[in-house]
Amino acid sequence: MAPTPEEHPNKAAFLLRVRSALGRTEPIVHMPDHPSLKSNAMRQQEKVRTIVARNEARRSPTLDRLARTAAAASWNVRRAGDAEEAASIVAEIAQQSGVKNLVRSAEDVFKRVNIDTALRSVGVSPAILASGRSRSRGALRDMAFRADMGVTGVSYAIAETASCAVIPRKGVARLASLAPPRLILLIEPEQVLETLDDFFAVTRLNRMQARGRATNYFNFISGPSRTADIEQTLTIGVHGPGEVHMVILG
Amino acid sequence: MAEVKSAEFKKASGRALRDEKLQHALEHVMEHFVGARANIIESDFGDESWESMRTRAAAIKQSTLEHLDYYLDMVDKSVRRNGGHVYFADDAAQANAIVLDIAKRNGVKTVIKSKSMVSEEMGVNHILEREGIEPVETDLGEYIIQLAGETPFHIIAPAMHKTRQEVSSLFQEWLKTAPTQDIKRLCVYARDALREKFAAADMGISGANFVVAETGTVCLVTNEGNGRMTTSAPRIHVVLAGMEKIVPAIEDLALFLRLLPRSATGQRITSYNTFVGGPRAPSDEDGPEEFHLVFVDNGRLNLLRDEVMREALRCIRCGACLNHCPVYQKIGGHAYGWVYSGPIGAVVTPPMTNMKVARDLPYASTLCGTCKDVCPVKIDIPRLLLHLRHKVAEGALGERSTTWMERLFVGQWHGAMRNRRALEGKANLGRLLTRPFARGGKVRKLPFAPMVSGWTASRDFPAPAPKSFARLWREELAQDNVHPNGMEQR
Repeated sequence: MAPTPEEHPNKAAFLLRVRSALGRTEPIVHMPDHPSLKSNAMRQQEKVRTIVARNEARRSPTLDRLARTAAAASWNVRRAGDAEEAASIVAEIAQQSGVKNLVRSAEDVFKRVNIDTALRSVGVSPAILASGRSRSRGALRDMAFRADMGVTGVSYAIAETASCAVIPRKGVARLASLAPPRLILLIEPEQVLETLDDFFAVTRLNRMQARGRATNYFNFISGPSRTADIEQTLTIGVHGPGEVHMVILG
Repeated sequence: MAEVKSAEFKKASGRALRDEKLQHALEHVMEHFVGARANIIESDFGDESWESMRTRAAAIKQSTLEHLDYYLDMVDKSVRRNGGHVYFADDAAQANAIVLDIAKRNGVKTVIKSKSMVSEEMGVNHILEREGIEPVETDLGEYIIQLAGETPFHIIAPAMHKTRQEVSSLFQEWLKTAPTQDIKRLCVYARDALREKFAAADMGISGANFVVAETGTVCLVTNEGNGRMTTSAPRIHVVLAGMEKIVPAIEDLALFLRLLPRSATGQRITSYNTFVGGPRAPSDEDGPEEFHLVFVDNGRLNLLRDEVMREALRCIRCGACLNHCPVYQKIGGHAYGWVYSGPIGAVVTPPMTNMKVARDLPYASTLCGTCKDVCPVKIDIPRLLLHLRHKVAEGALGERSTTWMERLFVGQWHGAMRNRRALEGKANLGRLLTRPFARGGKVRKLPFAPMVSGWTASRDFPAPAPKSFARLWREELAQDNVHPNGMEQR
């Protein structure tokens, strides 16, 4: 692992000025009283256990809620009874949109949902957007920019806001869900959480358990790319996908 | 640092008021923002009330400010643990030097920028251009005003004063595109032009909506996807953050991500939220290899030092106070003369830049209090404006700011308000003096000295009633045989 970057030479003087502006001469030794900061790994684990239990108990209404909030946020929502149906929905959307260059990530969900076969049956051959041995940064970027549809899984989906948390890692490029103008996200029932609070509590625990190997990067995708910067007129699809599909298993 | 033109406030606001096209745009946009916000906070509370969320957010931000040295240290340690670099810049010049140094060290030619108000404070685009590095704004609104060579008109809608025709001519000139009235088409033109820049850029600069101390996570709130592109495509990512942007814990984000988009655009959440706290992992497919976080003071210490003004640093830059301000609604953002406009601009500009140059800004308010009511972190803006006015009046500029007439009037007022008999006496005198000028219950023009006649130059003064309230009260009581303490005598 790379060494920890050094402290900036101006840090000490900067903090001293801040401290004296606040009327103090000594640094604060004890952590200020802030409940969500103080909860240790054990307490956090307890908290998350409760959250998971509640979400399991309320799975079905939460999936309905997700479908509702997503539709309100301009997602095209489809619900699939099983993996096979999900795969054929993906193929159907790709065919209807006249897609030629489709890229997907390499996640576990595709082991269960075999979209490759379904896509080939409608004449679309998907490519996996990953760097591999031969693909440079530039080549991966070009491939992502050329694609007209991206398909990826999610790590979590939040029913409150229709936000899909996508965590890039090996096999999941950042650009797969960003560069192509059309996007399909596959969501499995156990990935769905009720609220933003649930998500951040789980994220905090994940970081605590990762012991320094936690991810430095994730995104919420909560709808199509949009702008109202010209005359306050809502326009869909600027830098990110303008057409977004959510396929919920269950 | 970006030039402070706030001394021109009165002239510039006059110009804005006479600009019909601008007045039309302002009316349209303000209605849109105000309506969208009202809809979502009335119809979509969730489990916690809006009021309770505001109270909690205000307390979290205030406590963070009171312990700011502690939390800055915490962010520094967290980000460096993640493999990122952290810098502390006292002013715009230092911050610019840090950015330039990173760019030069890496042989950067093109920089893509996601919206950052701090970078506007710094004027970093000019510094980069001077060194032959091309900075490209990628937020559509910021891109438009960059092409136009202007500054943002609004915190979250920087180009709201531009019509589609103006945008079309800008694109014709700079992108060689065909003229069009179709906004969707204009967006496609911008998208295509910026795609080339995304592919070419070696460095991305973004702002920060929130910086989480415990994890070192920078949170970006965007709708277009340029924030994601800036943190995905180039090899280096630099974050510019005001030092007040910190929230202590990652779980605090749930609250702030509910407050910010509702207050800003009336959305339940924006299309994208990006959370980044360091460089890509070696096993990642893509993403920047270097991550730099630059904390900027640039005058914020002046707000922090003043116990009354300190709460202004709670601001999360949603723009709600601009949208609801009767003054901003008429004069727009440019008249304020620096980066931040509207009520919060009037509060932070004088202490952050120059009290003397920005002396008119604290007076650019009717003190109606709407800004305070809509603020998601409950900043008492009217109180802070009065505090600044007080400083100006008390000679903070090293000069008397009042005329002898004003001092005489306020002295007399002071005396009258402390003594009932004096008040009645002065009121009777005023009745006597103004009566000759009253016509049909109104005084249309007062002939006296400049201060008084100026008041009636653009409005009428109601004619005083023939008898004072106190006198009527006494007469009425005598008639009804009621004792002055209010008890009827039987």
